[in-house]
Amino acid sequence: MRRWFARLAALGVALLVAGQGTTAALAQDPAAGKKIMRIGATQAMDSMNPFLAVRVVSTSIHRWMYGFLTVPDSKTLQPSPDLAESWTTSEDGLTWTFKIRAAKWSDGKPITAEDAAWTFNKIMTDEAAKTANGPAVENFESVTANGQDLVIKLKSPQASMLENPIPIMPKHAWESVTDMTNYDAEKYPTVSSGPYFAVEHKKDQYVKLQANPGYWRGKPKVDELQVIFYDNPQAAIAGLKKGDIDLLGRMTPQEFEAIQNDPNIEAWNTQGRRAAYLQINHGATTTDDKPTGDGHPALKDLKVRQALHHAIDKQKLVDEVQNGLAKPADGSIVPPMYKDFFWEATGEEKVTYDPAKANQILDDAGYKKGSDGVRTMPDGDRKLEFRFTIHTETPIEDKLAEYLTAFFKEVGITLTTVKLDSSKFTEETGITGNFDIAISGWSVNPDPEEVMATHLCSRRPAPGGEGGGTESFFCDDTFEKLYQEQLKELDRPKRIDLLKQMQERLYTQAPIIAIYYTNDLEGYRKDRITSITPIPEDKGLLYGGSSYWPFYTVDVKATAASGGGAGGGSNTGLIAGVVGGVVVIGLAAFLLTRRRKSTADERE
Amino acid sequence: MTTPLEAAEPAAAQAAGPGEERPTGRGVLRYALSKLGGALFGIAMVLVGTFFVFRLLPGDPVRNMAQGRNMTPDQLDAERRRLGLDKPLIDQFIDFVGDTLRLDLGMSYEYKRPVIDLIGERLGPTLLLAGTGLVIAVSLGIWQGTRAGWRHGSRFDRFSTGASLLLWSVPTFWLGLLLMMVFGVGIGPIPGILPFRGIESVDAPDGFAYVLDVASHMVLPCLTLVAVVYAQYLLVMRSSLIEEVSQDYVTVARAKGLRDDEVRRRHAVPNALLPTVTLVFMRVGFVVGGAVTVETIYTWPGLGQLFYAAISVPDFTLMQGTFLLITVAVIVMNTLADVVYHILDPRVRSA
Repeated sequence: MRRWFARLAALGVALLVAGQGTTAALAQDPAAGKKIMRIGATQAMDSMNPFLAVRVVSTSIHRWMYGFLTVPDSKTLQPSPDLAESWTTSEDGLTWTFKIRAAKWSDGKPITAEDAAWTFNKIMTDEAAKTANGPAVENFESVTANGQDLVIKLKSPQASMLENPIPIMPKHAWESVTDMTNYDAEKYPTVSSGPYFAVEHKKDQYVKLQANPGYWRGKPKVDELQVIFYDNPQAAIAGLKKGDIDLLGRMTPQEFEAIQNDPNIEAWNTQGRRAAYLQINHGATTTDDKPTGDGHPALKDLKVRQALHHAIDKQKLVDEVQNGLAKPADGSIVPPMYKDFFWEATGEEKVTYDPAKANQILDDAGYKKGSDGVRTMPDGDRKLEFRFTIHTETPIEDKLAEYLTAFFKEVGITLTTVKLDSSKFTEETGITGNFDIAISGWSVNPDPEEVMATHLCSRRPAPGGEGGGTESFFCDDTFEKLYQEQLKELDRPKRIDLLKQMQERLYTQAPIIAIYYTNDLEGYRKDRITSITPIPEDKGLLYGGSSYWPFYTVDVKATAASGGGAGGGSNTGLIAGVVGGVVVIGLAAFLLTRRRKSTADERE
Repeated sequence: MTTPLEAAEPAAAQAAGPGEERPTGRGVLRYALSKLGGALFGIAMVLVGTFFVFRLLPGDPVRNMAQGRNMTPDQLDAERRRLGLDKPLIDQFIDFVGDTLRLDLGMSYEYKRPVIDLIGERLGPTLLLAGTGLVIAVSLGIWQGTRAGWRHGSRFDRFSTGASLLLWSVPTFWLGLLLMMVFGVGIGPIPGILPFRGIESVDAPDGFAYVLDVASHMVLPCLTLVAVVYAQYLLVMRSSLIEEVSQDYVTVARAKGLRDDEVRRRHAVPNALLPTVTLVFMRVGFVVGGAVTVETIYTWPGLGQLFYAAISVPDFTLMQGTFLLITVAVIVMNTLADVVYHILDPRVRSA
């Protein structure tokens, strides 16, 4: 009994110290009065150098630090002025002239067209600088500056010129960098043109950014942004619940459910920018049109692909695989959040869940059911047994595979699951073509040109097996023609129509079958964040939008007013340290007394 | 009859001072040299093994890095040239060995920085966490193992052996998350006051407060690490002590009228410690590797976390570098353990 008393006493002392510590800590918080916004991320930055960084978290942070020629408008997502305040295009669409805004870098130097020209020319001439955004300048013939005028000459017309993803860098701070490959850009404070500039980066731990008082739209409402990295999502969720961070984006349905009922957390659930689809090996070929891989021959038949489409109950997948946090896909690869570009199948063309119809199509096409209920090819005895390739250790894909197997069984098709780690997966489904059906998905940008390009003939692997980044091995004349037309079409409504026709083509030819559009799932502390504007402003995304807008508009309570939660991080640490010390000393003392006592016992 | 402990003392003195007992001293030296030769051979084999094993892994790093990005075959080739992956395998191997001997472990594909720098940054946190964890686990294991073994079958024995085995069989990840939820976030009346991310707070204070800050960040990772591994020290200590208890010299010591406590402390424990010493030295080698799972749960910026990140890319040079470091550390520590054991226990030497 006595030892339990001792343990309870130690715990009591610890709690007492903790309680007193909290009150004392709040009074002497060094960050009091400052507005600090803390964002959690489950990925650390790969590089502070925008010429090299490719991870989503890095490009997001760079968007808050550097301006672009244009940015998506916060309401319509159409290209709108950023560092370029206006622009003109020549008759032939080959010469673009951008007028650069008379704004200032965070070190006070003026922003000129020279800066933009230097940035583009650097990427065009230096192989190492191409790492992050090389393809974006591929079509550039020359870039020159004349005062505040930036003139870009193109090799061929390009309608997506206003979607250029390259941040404009300050020439005066960067031109001395000769070895771009090895330049980590860890120089603080950074010279920035966006709403924030970085002041500190502790690798794999956090990045601190400060509000840029000279930002051309005006200084942000918060004083400091902190991006705090977590190695695993569970820890990040725990951090949000505890109040160590104020916002966490990119959650899975399971993670989202963990925060949904927390009274202090606003659960953010809106239409997302991601489409999930099945990639069907409809006869994979390389760029010289030679077949590659070991795809099942039945999948070359459009009728079989259409039957598969009819056999999938997308609503059930949404309800049971995605826990209702997605939207069934009645279109193609552009999700409905992009109202302008989204194409939805209607009428005759719309493929509904109808296993009877799927069976009918297969029966009519001569795929006879055997005694075991599995169909065979009309011209032979090969059974309709397909492989479904998914990633290892992705519970959601496992579940999806279970449902698809059951759906396809209904129409006399056997599906077996193949699990591959991500690099092998990329190789087999994107280069060698050793698959039948594979899971895939794409997070679409405000302009869908890039995702469309992943279905071009030229994206197929070269004969040597070099990958070009195809998402389907698709190679279709109609699709190619539409793509080329939209490249040159500078009239936005006309171009949108062309891009919709491309989606329709993908839908009817079914090299891919879109199954659902996953929702954007995020969470933020209601007790800390007083206002934040998503992008687009009408029920849009926060962190998931990879835009500076939510983080420019955000307002939080000043630190001293936070009261609840954890208070200042440093003091929590201090208290915890004291408590830890007390517990250790208490335990040690307890053990020592025990030891003396037992020795005494032995003496008797 | 002399106890082995008494015999060990002059032996240690001989090893230390090359005075009168030259032959034995030279024996230890010769033994150490032969062990060193073995270790060097081992390291050479590790070099060969590392290089080829990492190239047999599925997945082309360049293709993987290009995932989801628009890269033409020309750009992929350029990237391969940059990374030196276009050369014949044997040339790559010669380059690799030469560079490694010059301590140039190459550039990380993912971080675009020298691997040796990345490792250097991570070494401190890893040694701090895994070292502290090891010290606590070893002390706790030896202490509990001694008590359990001395009175084996007692309530303390059953309780501590049972508890340690239970913790040993719990998955580290699960235990880590549980501790995080209970002591980090807080459940019911238990306040969540312990930090569970990283090695320090974002706004870490200076001076002594900083030490406390880091210490508080270490509590949960250390607790998880110790809970899961201390059973092995406990069990080894317990079983070797049980063996010693029945030895004649223990009976003699008791017959001399020594107190039970003294018999245990001065006679039984030093002899029973030998297997534990071997185990500890083996584990010291692994300390450098950090604790991958624990570091990943608590976002501890150590080598384990770096290794984990390298595997998921996959980042060949980074994997190679961390793997080399860990294996070399294990080989070096094992060699040291052999030599130390040789000095500590005269029975090994005469055998």
